[in-house]
This record gives sequence, C-alpha cells and structure tokens, in this order.
Amino acid sequence: MDVFTLSFWGISLALTGVSLAKSKKKTFEAMKKSRGMMGNMLGEIIAIIFMIGLVLTFIPPESIKSVLGSENTFISSIIAAIAGSITLIPAFVAFPLVGSFVNVGASIIPAVAFLTTLTMVGIVTFPLEKKEFGFKFALVRNLLSFVAALVIAMAMGVIL
Amino acid sequence: MTITKVLKKNKLMAIVALIYLAIFVFMPDKAAEAMGNSVYYLIEMVQVLPIIFLLTVVIEALVPKEMITRRLGAKSGFLGNILSLILGSISAGPIYAAFPISKMLLTKGASVSNVVIILSSWAVIKLPMLANEAKFLGVSFMGVRWVLTVIAILIMAWITEKLVSKKDMLITSTVVTDKQIVINHDYCIGCGICVKMLPEVYEMIDQKAHVKAGGIKSGDDAMILKTADKCPVNAIVAKEKGGAVA
Repeated sequence: MDVFTLSFWGISLALTGVSLAKSKKKTFEAMKKSRGMMGNMLGEIIAIIFMIGLVLTFIPPESIKSVLGSENTFISSIIAAIAGSITLIPAFVAFPLVGSFVNVGASIIPAVAFLTTLTMVGIVTFPLEKKEFGFKFALVRNLLSFVAALVIAMAMGVIL
Repeated sequence: MTITKVLKKNKLMAIVALIYLAIFVFMPDKAAEAMGNSVYYLIEMVQVLPIIFLLTVVIEALVPKEMITRRLGAKSGFLGNILSLILGSISAGPIYAAFPISKMLLTKGASVSNVVIILSSWAVIKLPMLANEAKFLGVSFMGVRWVLTVIAILIMAWITEKLVSKKDMLITSTVVTDKQIVINHDYCIGCGICVKMLPEVYEMIDQKAHVKAGGIKSGDDAMILKTADKCPVNAIVAKEKGGAVA
C-alpha cells in the first residue's frame, strides 16, 4: 500500500471515530445504509475487475505502441482515444510506456488522447455508472470526456 | 431468492463468468493470464473500498444535508465547482470508488455539475499520478495537461448540467430487499406525506420525493406498501424486484 492510500486509511478511520463519538446511533444507521448501497455495487465491481484482466490479456499495454506510432496523426489520435477508453492500464505502467515513446520522437497528440481517455472514459465501468446515475448521465459524461480528450490532445500539440 | 433472481441481480458477473468459462475451455493459458492480471486490481479494491465505505458513512452521519446543498448544490456557484475539484483531486482509488461517494453526495443535495467535476477529477487528477507523469513526460507536459484538463472538466460539468437533470439521475431506485420502489416524478406533487410516514426511506429533493440511497430495509416492506397506498397521486409504485406490481 502506498503512503497516499495509507494516509487515507488513517483519515477515514479517524473521522469514523469522531462520528462514533458524536453519535453511535447515527453512525450505525449510516453504516447500514452504506452497506446496502455498496453491497449493491460490489458484485459489479468484482465483475469489472475480471473484465479488466481480460482486456489486459487480449489487448496488452505494449500494443498501444503500434497505435501511437502510426504516420497519420489524426487517425492515430482517434484510435488512441478509443484504445484508452477500452483499456484500464494502471497509471504507473501507462506513463513510462507513453513516455518512452514520446521521448524518441513520436507525436504527443495521440499520446495525450490516450492518457486522457484512459482515466476519464470507461467503457468497462459504464454498466455500473449507468446503474448508479442513469443511462443519460453516463452516456453524456463519457461522450463529453472522449471529445474533451481529443480537444486537450490537439491543444497540447499546438502549445508544446 | 431463486436462481433466476440471483442471475438477474448479477447480470454483469454472470456474463463475465461465462466469458471466462469459454476461454478456459478453448485457451486455458489466456484465461490463467487474465486471472493473474486481475489480481492487482483485486488487491487495489480490497485496499480502497473499505476507505470508501467509511467515508460514505462519515458523510451520511456527520455532514448535514443543508451543508452539502449549500456548498455543492445548484446554487453553490463557482466556489462549489472549485470545492468539488479539490474533493475529487485529493481522493484515493480508481473511478469506480468515486461512484458511492458521488451518489451519496448527490442524494444529499450536490448538483449534477459538481458530481461530474468530482467524478472526472477523481479519475484524472491525483497527486501521485501527477508526480509520475512529470517524471516520465516532463513537468511542462504534466502542467499543460493538468491546466487543460481542469478547464475541460469545468466545461463538461456545465454542459452536463444543461443536458441531464437531477430527475434523470435519481429515478433509478435503490434495491436492498426484494422490494423496489419507483417514484414517478411526473406525478409527484411533493406533498411530503411519504417522507412523514417513512423518513428512513423517503426524502425530498427539489420538491420531489426520492428514495434515499440504501434506504430500503427488509422490515420496511409493509410500511412502504402503506406509503404507496397513501400517496395522493399514486406516484409511488412498490414492486417485487423485477416482477409485477405488488
């Protein structure tokens, strides 16, 4: 566990302690409620995690290199954005991977498109997002994020 | 619960299990590899979800609804957006960890745009991630991408607020027991009878009755049917989950 997650454990445990000290009854009621809400999500989250494992196996992180390296920047940006939407590569794998590529001279536009959709757009998490916030919200948020990723990528191509 | 009910509740899980089964039969090595790849994420989940659970409990128990409405609600303005951005950025864990927290905030009065900001910044902006990005792609790359992403998130929040109403988001009711409550907001006149009868289950948001997140308990069943009965415009429908109207 990294320091960051560990400190969050500390903070949330401390806050729960405060809440228990303030009102035991209220805290236990809240626990019941949260248990109901998260219990509903747990099955889906586990399913999502095994989906991620599948996607990583059939679309390994290294395959993104062939996308980032193609000649046509426009098309490769769109494909990179789609690839980022589907896969969920951990950030500490994605940054060195993309970095090694950009540092040898590849265009940064597809690279940025990929990095941005990687975290903001989630096709694998879509079913859960839809269930919790409604179809319309999930669709609008993911579509807007996809477009935003392309715009950010192009803007970065101009600025840097 | 019968088997069909269990399957219906865990549709995604059933689909994923089927895919794995098929791969195990035809490509056993690939299936093993996929399982192995999932382990990292399972560990991450075990580390993060208890925190999320505790945080939703703390929000529910300690933070009054009026405060969330004032700070993150529709009238919280630009300061509310900034607060959401900070909340999302100091978070831990993957985007699915943001769902329970955002849902809790939404039912306690946060606006649609601020939920978008929390979800998006939760996904993209994280201190350890920014440090990692600066290390491998340079400080200016990280800095410019951060600024552009923040601007994009604010614009996205504004557009989503225009396109999606809170009604669209809260209409999916929470199912805890075999009962499911659907409130038809086209009919609801906001009289508040249901909230008075069963404050543990119902609440008023924007003058419409809503089912609280995780609000239905098995003991409530009889009382829920009564509220459905007492609703003057019959906007409350209590169903057996996936089945006919009770």
